[in-house]
Amino acid sequence: MGAQSALAELLWAEKYRPRSLQEMVNQEDVVRRLQVFVKERNMPHLLFAGPPGTGKTTAAHALAHDLYGEDYRMYMLELNASDERGIDVIRTKVKEFARSKLPVNVPFKVVLLDEADNMTADAQQALRRLMEMYVDVTRFILIANYPSKIIEPIQSRCAVFRFTAIKKEDVVSRLKWICDHEKVSYDDKGLEAIFDVSGGDMRRAINILQAAAALGEVNVSNVYKVVGLATPAEVRALLKSTLFEGDFTKARDVLRKLMVTYGLSGVDLVKQLHREVFSSEFAIPEEMRVEIADYLGEIQFRLVEGADDEIQLSALLAKLVLLGRNLRQATAQPSKPSKR
Amino acid sequence: MSAERKLPWVVKYRPRKIDEVVNQEEAKKLFLTWIDSWIRGKPEKKAALLYGPPGSGKTSLVEAVAQEKGLELIEMNASDYRRSTDIEKIAKTTARIGSLLGVKRKIILLDEVDGISATADKGALDSILDLIEGTQHPVVLVANDPWDPKLRDLRESCLMIEFRRLTKTDVKKVLRDICAKEKLTCEDDAIDFIAERAEGDLRSAINDLEAVGEGFGKVTATLAKSLLRARDRELNAFDVVRRILIAKYAWQAREASNQTDLAPDELILWIHENIPKQAQDPEDLWRAYESLSRADIYFSRIVRTGSWDLLVYAVDMMTAGVALSIRNPQYKFKWVKYSFPERIRLLSKTREARQIREDLAKLLASHLKCSISLAKSDAIPFLKVIFDSNPEYAARLALGLNLSDSMIKYLSEKNGDKIVTLTEKLRQELRKMVSAQKGGSQTAVRQKRTVEAERKKDEKSSKGLEGFFKK
Repeated sequence: MGAQSALAELLWAEKYRPRSLQEMVNQEDVVRRLQVFVKERNMPHLLFAGPPGTGKTTAAHALAHDLYGEDYRMYMLELNASDERGIDVIRTKVKEFARSKLPVNVPFKVVLLDEADNMTADAQQALRRLMEMYVDVTRFILIANYPSKIIEPIQSRCAVFRFTAIKKEDVVSRLKWICDHEKVSYDDKGLEAIFDVSGGDMRRAINILQAAAALGEVNVSNVYKVVGLATPAEVRALLKSTLFEGDFTKARDVLRKLMVTYGLSGVDLVKQLHREVFSSEFAIPEEMRVEIADYLGEIQFRLVEGADDEIQLSALLAKLVLLGRNLRQATAQPSKPSKR
Repeated sequence: MSAERKLPWVVKYRPRKIDEVVNQEEAKKLFLTWIDSWIRGKPEKKAALLYGPPGSGKTSLVEAVAQEKGLELIEMNASDYRRSTDIEKIAKTTARIGSLLGVKRKIILLDEVDGISATADKGALDSILDLIEGTQHPVVLVANDPWDPKLRDLRESCLMIEFRRLTKTDVKKVLRDICAKEKLTCEDDAIDFIAERAEGDLRSAINDLEAVGEGFGKVTATLAKSLLRARDRELNAFDVVRRILIAKYAWQAREASNQTDLAPDELILWIHENIPKQAQDPEDLWRAYESLSRADIYFSRIVRTGSWDLLVYAVDMMTAGVALSIRNPQYKFKWVKYSFPERIRLLSKTREARQIREDLAKLLASHLKCSISLAKSDAIPFLKVIFDSNPEYAARLALGLNLSDSMIKYLSEKNGDKIVTLTEKLRQELRKMVSAQKGGSQTAVRQKRTVEAERKKDEKSSKGLEGFFKK
């Protein structure tokens, strides 16, 4: 590329995002069916479902790009339901757009609702009405990780496309392709490590790749270094000070630091703790790992329902302090009877 | 004589001697030691902050001490120092006179410092701090609630002296003495009633006594009850939290929550902050947090459904639920020092950083076409790694993503300044290159153009939508 790119750089997840359907290398079945819509210049409402980082958002943009050309964003309203999840957005922004007059030379407009499974039930009901009323001029593309969180009547109005997890060799070959383009040195083990730590999430994989490349070379040690650096050491400190030191107040201070300084949400923290709980680094009984995991799930559920991050995670810390105390008592006890 | 009669009783019967200040032996001792250290010329702290419930004798003690030790009292009330210039004036005059006359010491008394509004009386708090720093005389601050976050800096530069709430017996004794001096007949029941209502506030008890006694010449229980409406006292936050955490019965804990003007969503933070202090037993701690988390869940349900009827259950769980969870008698009634909710302090302290993070996440979300929260959890941590480990590459990213200087510094504390400089260099280079290429390499120009065109297109389309929605 030109001199410009020698100076300025973008996030690779953006730079190497396929712009049109034919650039997409995965989800062949989905892509083939979507290309039919482009050819016929007609489509039903769509629901893209699947795990994160499997190409749902990319496919939606590529579809719109192929339908309308470079200026596709003029005919598309994009909303991320995680950021704007309330019913007001549906009643105002979406409704206004959906019912506006159809520009010439365009068969329909598109409303793209990303992370639609984060919409409240009320908002979904309102959305359902709009989907019916303005179907002649506006088509909806809904994207969800968990399609079961989309209400039945909406699901039944959509053609559902299931995006499957991207296979390891596909992720690795894409990463390789990016490395070649960027002239970054790598080894296969490093790329495989990226797949392992990203859980098949392409966006996450590319983010890790870019960070590892910034460290010099994409190898196993750099990949784990990136992941380690991106996971604050304080998360481990939380487990240590509760389970082994029984110091609740200290743990709560760390918790606040993580949330305020690192800006981690409660759910992020629960997920990171979940990863740590099963790590062999912590010498705790196996059944306790399961008990903690169960409680983590409970806390995450409460958070998803709208509870307060700091209070719920403090409750978790209190539970860990108690478990740690019981553990110490249990290990101290066997010596008692022998004394008698 | 007649002039004296018109004095309100609270003024008339104000303690003239240190001994007359009821109870508060500990505070007296601390305060006297501090004043003596001033007189000897070597105070450890230049100011003292007397705090405690209203009517517990804070101002009275200062006045009595001034009188006994022969110090001149320069008194200012909250209304007098709304502006920083007022305080500066005081500071200057006292300082000057002090050095001219040389001998006579003064006490500078600033009453009701918690009445200063942090926003409306901007600068007042700072000039008090200046006053303390430069003073040659003891400065005494008085407050009911010293834990107000705006007073944090003041707290640090003051010797803290706590005044306890007076007991009912203390109050009754003073009331009886006054009745005797005023030659009033009074019923024991009436005194008891007035003292009970005052909840340790001697000033309000004396005012009540005066209201009944002066008008009717006698103090009977019936008169007292009919005349005096219940004076609903706002308990200060610490008292309320303490009452809740050490409550033995559900009703005590629930009632305590009615005696504060803290909103339930503030009160829960106060309880949250102080649970571990009283619940030192792990079982208690866990139970208490289970209750508190139930309360929090009710709050989230209220928000989601809009049914405020649920509020009572939230309050039940955070008061009675928490109180009854704390059972271990070893800690349950132990006196521990409570703290102001750290969360409130942290949030105001970190507001700026959080705003930067929010803006950054928004920017990245639009690049990555993902939600803001995903940008926070999946993009920012990896960017931080890059910015911490590879400044040169980071600068190219900063240029490409058009990051602001504060965003760059947010991404790397370590390399922030360096990356800002590098980015600026790159930007200038780019500009030079573009102008140099105007006649030269066609491809580069086209490249630049397409980039710019794309950005403009983006802007246009988003503007187009915005305009569209505004219509």
